[in-house]
Amino acid sequence: MPAIVRIIILYILSLLTAFGFSSCHEIEQWEDDPRGNFEALWTVVDEHYCFFADKGVDWDEVHDRYAAKISDEMTRSELFDVCAAMLAELRDGHTNLSSPFEVSYYRKWWSDYPQNYDARLVEQYYFNFNYRQVNGMTYGILPQNVGYIYYGSFGVTLGEGNLDYVLNYLASTQGLIIDVRDNGGGDLTNVETLVSRFITQETVVGSIWHKTGPGHGDFSEPYPIHYRPAGGSHVLWGKPVVVLCNRSTFSAANNFVSVMKYLPGVTVVGATTGGGSGMPFSSEIPNGWGVRFSACPMYDARGICTEQGVTPTEGCAIDLDPVQALAGHDTMLDFAVDILVSSSGATLATSCEAVATCSDPTASRDNCDG
Amino acid sequence: MLLNKLLVGIMLLAVLPSRAAETDSSRMEVIRPVMSAYTFEAGGSHLADTYLTPLIYGGYSLALQYERWQAMKFSPERWVMSLSVRGTWDHADSPARNNSMWYAGLDARWAMMHRCKLPWGITVGAGGATGIMAGCMYNGRNSNNPASTKVSWTIDAAAYASWKTRIGRLPVTLTYRPIMPLTGVFYGVEYGQLYYEYWLGNRKNTIHWGHWGNYFAMDNQLTADLHFGSTSLRVGYRGYVYSTKVNGITSRITSNTFIIGISGEWMSINPRKKLSVDNARIISAL
Repeated sequence: MPAIVRIIILYILSLLTAFGFSSCHEIEQWEDDPRGNFEALWTVVDEHYCFFADKGVDWDEVHDRYAAKISDEMTRSELFDVCAAMLAELRDGHTNLSSPFEVSYYRKWWSDYPQNYDARLVEQYYFNFNYRQVNGMTYGILPQNVGYIYYGSFGVTLGEGNLDYVLNYLASTQGLIIDVRDNGGGDLTNVETLVSRFITQETVVGSIWHKTGPGHGDFSEPYPIHYRPAGGSHVLWGKPVVVLCNRSTFSAANNFVSVMKYLPGVTVVGATTGGGSGMPFSSEIPNGWGVRFSACPMYDARGICTEQGVTPTEGCAIDLDPVQALAGHDTMLDFAVDILVSSSGATLATSCEAVATCSDPTASRDNCDG
Repeated sequence: MLLNKLLVGIMLLAVLPSRAAETDSSRMEVIRPVMSAYTFEAGGSHLADTYLTPLIYGGYSLALQYERWQAMKFSPERWVMSLSVRGTWDHADSPARNNSMWYAGLDARWAMMHRCKLPWGITVGAGGATGIMAGCMYNGRNSNNPASTKVSWTIDAAAYASWKTRIGRLPVTLTYRPIMPLTGVFYGVEYGQLYYEYWLGNRKNTIHWGHWGNYFAMDNQLTADLHFGSTSLRVGYRGYVYSTKVNGITSRITSNTFIIGISGEWMSINPRKKLSVDNARIISAL
């Protein structure tokens, strides 16, 4: 047999074999009808969602319960309502279904809790509107010589130069309050930028996992997250810090609180944060609706899942008193100030307990100082 | 090809008319012209990547390619090499047409093939190739998983068949050139891994040994070079399939494109060499 004929036969055989192998690369498709879209949505979440076990959600049972509500005659709006209700079973603020006419949210993670924050209260009664603002940060010095930074979104990129300026401006104060109440999250890189000003050595601040397959238990090994202190001539903060948070402190802000909580000299004051420790993935279903859901869980430095929120430092849980708010008092901020004022010479943890006994704003401050 | 040979002859005579008689006719100088082609492609494509979406998107594909062929120096009669560099841009819409996905990629490939001349002006060749591919598929709607990176280095099976014929009085070269990776290494992100984690430094299980079970690609190019003069018009068709399945993620690019461009054979001649029509021999790549 001539060589060229052998080559051609070999080529054809190779081609057939290769096509045989490649036919294994199937991609499951669904019909663009109510049942097809429902099944696509359920499957996408089934194969990628990361908190089934942590939340004790039986997704198969959820499928059966909601699949019974799907019919070929239902409208798009009705289908959306069923699908949104199914996703709400996950009790996850990072999970949304997006259609041209509505975006579903699970709101109970914050709506069932007191808001505990009123921006106007701080701006008017604590700063008389004489505060400074730069690059997403509102800052100033409180009358007790305590520095205050309000950072409302980790979606606003923190400039290193801006941080240097702000921390230098507050350098003469006896302590710093970082207020992340109502901070709904943003970019984790901004968390690192901010935290890097409060550490003096490389620090493991938590870990991240990811799914390695469609099974509910298919997870990678935890990968430790290291933060390094800000290098060069950037300003590092070594004085006591109080992080002020509420239930609407969510996602990247929740992560920030979980990191700061374990740093020396830091106290977390306020209410348990909103959680949102699963980094979300995006996907979609045949009718074009988008779906977002938690896919990569993050754990804190002690290996604790913070999806349900980060609790304040022991003895430092406090809500905003609405009656006192009417009189111009942010009782959470007052609590934080008192901790810093009373912390000179004492550890912040013990300060929490001391201040807790003095947190009645009607009591004389003199009785609590020292 | 006759036109090209005539052209070479005229050039040689013009360069060295007075020395032609002094050359050693026993020492045959081989001239290996470079067949190069610049082409533009347009057609339909499908994009899919389950890291980004479970749906298959459909749209168009545009590409620019430079290709050169040349007989090899050590055995020009039997061996040829080809080099191709190709840039691709695909745009595709979701089935509901409310979202778009893009693919941009670069591919460079070098092949060396053993050839045999058959009757009727047909030449066939087969051999190996190696190439790198780098690209990125981007889904405009996704937040933390917006892109799927494609990087690979492969060792390929390459072949070609060319037929020199005429359509009426017009010389035409028909060429079919398939290339198919056999093995290699390629990048593939973990099933649910975010690029944030990758950026943090976790790169485990992202570089893979490629075989037909997890990496299949095939590039079929069929062209016709219409030799109107020293420069030819190239028209043709390309069918391209790229399919990977690794870490539970299936990725696929398919396109069917129409090719149009120019091609031609070019020679570089050293004027200090004593060449003449008698002792210079031209060995074309196709």
